[in-house]
Amino acid sequence: MDRNFKFILLTCMLLAVIGASACIGGDKDETAKGDSFGENSQDLVVGISSDVNNWYLDKFADGDARFVWSQVYETLVRLDSNLNITPGLAESWETPDNGTTWLFHLRKNVTFHDGTPFNSDSVVFSYSNKSYVRQAVLKPIKSVEAIDNYTVKFVLQKPMPLPFYLTHVAWPIMGPGCLDKAGNFVKPVGTGPFKFESQTKDQEIVLTRNDAYWGNKSLLDKVIFKVIPDPSTQVMAFENGELDMIIKVPEYDVKRLEAKKGIQVQRKLSTFTDFLQFNCDKTPFNDTKIRQSVAYAIDTNTLVNGVLNGIGKPAGGRPYSPNMMYSDPDLKTYSQDLDKSKALLKEAGWEDSNGDGILEKDGSPLNCTLLVSKGAWAARHTLMAQVVQEDLRKIGMNVEIQVLDEGAISKLEGVGNFGMILRSGYFVWGPYPKHFFIHHSKSPYSHYHNETYDQLVDAADSTIDPQKQKEFYYALQAFVIKEVPAFYLVHEEKVVATGPSVKGFVITAEDPWLDLSGVYLERK
Amino acid sequence: MELKRWKIKLKMKCLRASEIKRSISENDRKVRRISMWKYIAKRLAMVLVVISGVTLVSFVAMYLAPGDPAELIALERYGQDLDASQIESVREAEGLDAPVYFQYFIWLDHLLHLDLGRSIITSDDVLEEILLKLPATIELTVAGLLISLLIALPIGVLGALQKNTLLDNCCAFISLIGISIPNFWLGILLIWLFSLTLHIFPSYGYGSLNHLALPALTLGISMSSITARLTRASLMEVMEKEYILAARARGFDEYTIVLRHALKNALLPVVTFAGMQLGYLLGGAVIVETIFSWPGIGKLLVDSIFARDFSMVQGCVLFIAVLFSLSSLAVDILYAVLDPRIRYDMYD
Repeated sequence: MDRNFKFILLTCMLLAVIGASACIGGDKDETAKGDSFGENSQDLVVGISSDVNNWYLDKFADGDARFVWSQVYETLVRLDSNLNITPGLAESWETPDNGTTWLFHLRKNVTFHDGTPFNSDSVVFSYSNKSYVRQAVLKPIKSVEAIDNYTVKFVLQKPMPLPFYLTHVAWPIMGPGCLDKAGNFVKPVGTGPFKFESQTKDQEIVLTRNDAYWGNKSLLDKVIFKVIPDPSTQVMAFENGELDMIIKVPEYDVKRLEAKKGIQVQRKLSTFTDFLQFNCDKTPFNDTKIRQSVAYAIDTNTLVNGVLNGIGKPAGGRPYSPNMMYSDPDLKTYSQDLDKSKALLKEAGWEDSNGDGILEKDGSPLNCTLLVSKGAWAARHTLMAQVVQEDLRKIGMNVEIQVLDEGAISKLEGVGNFGMILRSGYFVWGPYPKHFFIHHSKSPYSHYHNETYDQLVDAADSTIDPQKQKEFYYALQAFVIKEVPAFYLVHEEKVVATGPSVKGFVITAEDPWLDLSGVYLERK
Repeated sequence: MELKRWKIKLKMKCLRASEIKRSISENDRKVRRISMWKYIAKRLAMVLVVISGVTLVSFVAMYLAPGDPAELIALERYGQDLDASQIESVREAEGLDAPVYFQYFIWLDHLLHLDLGRSIITSDDVLEEILLKLPATIELTVAGLLISLLIALPIGVLGALQKNTLLDNCCAFISLIGISIPNFWLGILLIWLFSLTLHIFPSYGYGSLNHLALPALTLGISMSSITARLTRASLMEVMEKEYILAARARGFDEYTIVLRHALKNALLPVVTFAGMQLGYLLGGAVIVETIFSWPGIGKLLVDSIFARDFSMVQGCVLFIAVLFSLSSLAVDILYAVLDPRIRYDMYD
């Protein structure tokens, strides 16, 4: 065979492979501008970081999946943009016995996307024993039964403020049409303002307007969620006009985008707070004075203004966001005071006896590890951990940062082989202060054991009287500030950027939630 | 003068052709063909051994990785509000309480029935999921390799021919930059240049040759640097051989010598390296896939490892091992095309 011919043949084969694969992918989006939008197009293109891996109630919807879920599915109880509780698929609710039994009166004339009516049966279906929420967060539910077509009764094992729990978008109402006759999941069927149209794995999810929606119908024809895992790529695709909206703008891009003509950047305190969780079972953090000294050593203002470009609010130990219910506005938080911090360490018996800058006690140096997860918050947490390390070095504490995957962290956590863990957003799905449970002795994440604290949490979660709840949660906040089972660093801010075409968008405090009601496009 | 040179060239060509004809008789060709098929059959048998080994190692590695797989899977399914009973029920339901060797043999048994199982996390069919991602992976891999060769070969040849000149130093400098630049940064730089500034290519996505351009270029550039240096070194070595000296003595110009005589022999180590790179690309283009939202197997594998999705990891590893083995076999066969002196019975 002639050599040149061989070479040409080989090249043609390679090109054929590429061409064939490209053809399999189908030719879309040929231009660098992505989808070429028509002038009157009402198709909103939104960038998200992760795909929807699950649409059904038997599993938890994690990551950005919930932004998509919140368009298709709805909950019995809703929150407005400032986290106030409002009716959702339930028009009203009541408890005849102070929180053990709850009656929900359902909205009439609501239909699912497949045309079937929404009624009590669909609520019973959504909160059956098969639902993950019954096996996880709402274990105390004894039974869910239909009293009549539009009244549902929840019976609990103990009094609970159930309506707060039912606001979470990850346990919404699903239509029985989600399943086929054999009981296998077919497609998402909800009552939301948008219907599921198609999903291309790890690429895009297309939703179309639900014209039979019971509320204000959307002004958009479609919402197309594009899966782009890399935040930098998301921002560049947005700037290039390939996306209309990005719902998690990286901190380092906010100021730049705010300065750009036509781009709107909206910011709002979310329900998430980053915190340092201490291992209170082991030295050095089994001593309250050491935990307090850490609280005095860390400058949370630097964390926000230095590391996070001013995005977020310094927490100074405040357990949860000021926009959450029962957040005590007069709570005395920590501000950096190195003298106080050093004095507390001295009181606890730690001194630098060999002059190396690291304190010792009984011959052991003041060393500890700080675990940081490689997960969704890795980028900000790694930088924050470095500031913490630097601040604690000033008071004579040597911190070793370990950035690990969740598996490695859970193993170290299980055997108690750590000093601190940098965490974010545990049990903060709405305004309700469920987060306090994380330091309860029964919590799988707890590394703190205090009977008084446990009793306060149990009492707070077992009452539905707002006044009593307020008293308990105020007491819990004061307790966390004084005893420091964890030190709270930064209240996160939600940052959403919209392109010049997008009109009528209003950011909400709830995370992860995306409210597209009133949004429309004016393409130029 | 020109006519004389042309006559000499023609004479040389005829001489070489008759030499080859003499050295490889018809019988010899037959033997070569048979030994080649024998060799391919042997190598395919080896592929089975390799796959068994690789899947076993990955299974054990997953088992030994830090963290309790049952707990991690339960976390994925039920979120943060977990308790011990849920972890135990996941352990039981997914057969994670059985000894690791038993779990592996069960997986092998299913594999023999062409059943790769379902994802522990998403319940998706593993085989379907992988076949969905395979075209994207092959497309990116082949395009990346092609671009890397298109960049590397000219730079390598120029460097070898103009060694220790300003041009060679420039080529070396470009290669050094290519090696030093991390993939993720190069990818973002290319998006900035070709999407944001010049508006030529889309910044992300999959589905057309336009979408393929930037990820393939990112992979190609990062791969081409080492290939270029290798080509240069190999070609410089070949250029010292006696037959090159003989060709020079016959009055051939330098470029004819390189293209007709030297380059083919110099390409052997380059082909080997490209074959190795192909394997790296099949599973290792994770960063590029992440940056450009390219739905390939690499990213699927890494995500599955973090989620301890055993069945998905095993499926991906199996496919990558098969593709790697087959590409390595293809490279070996290509040797004989490049160098007729290589005989497959040498391996017996």
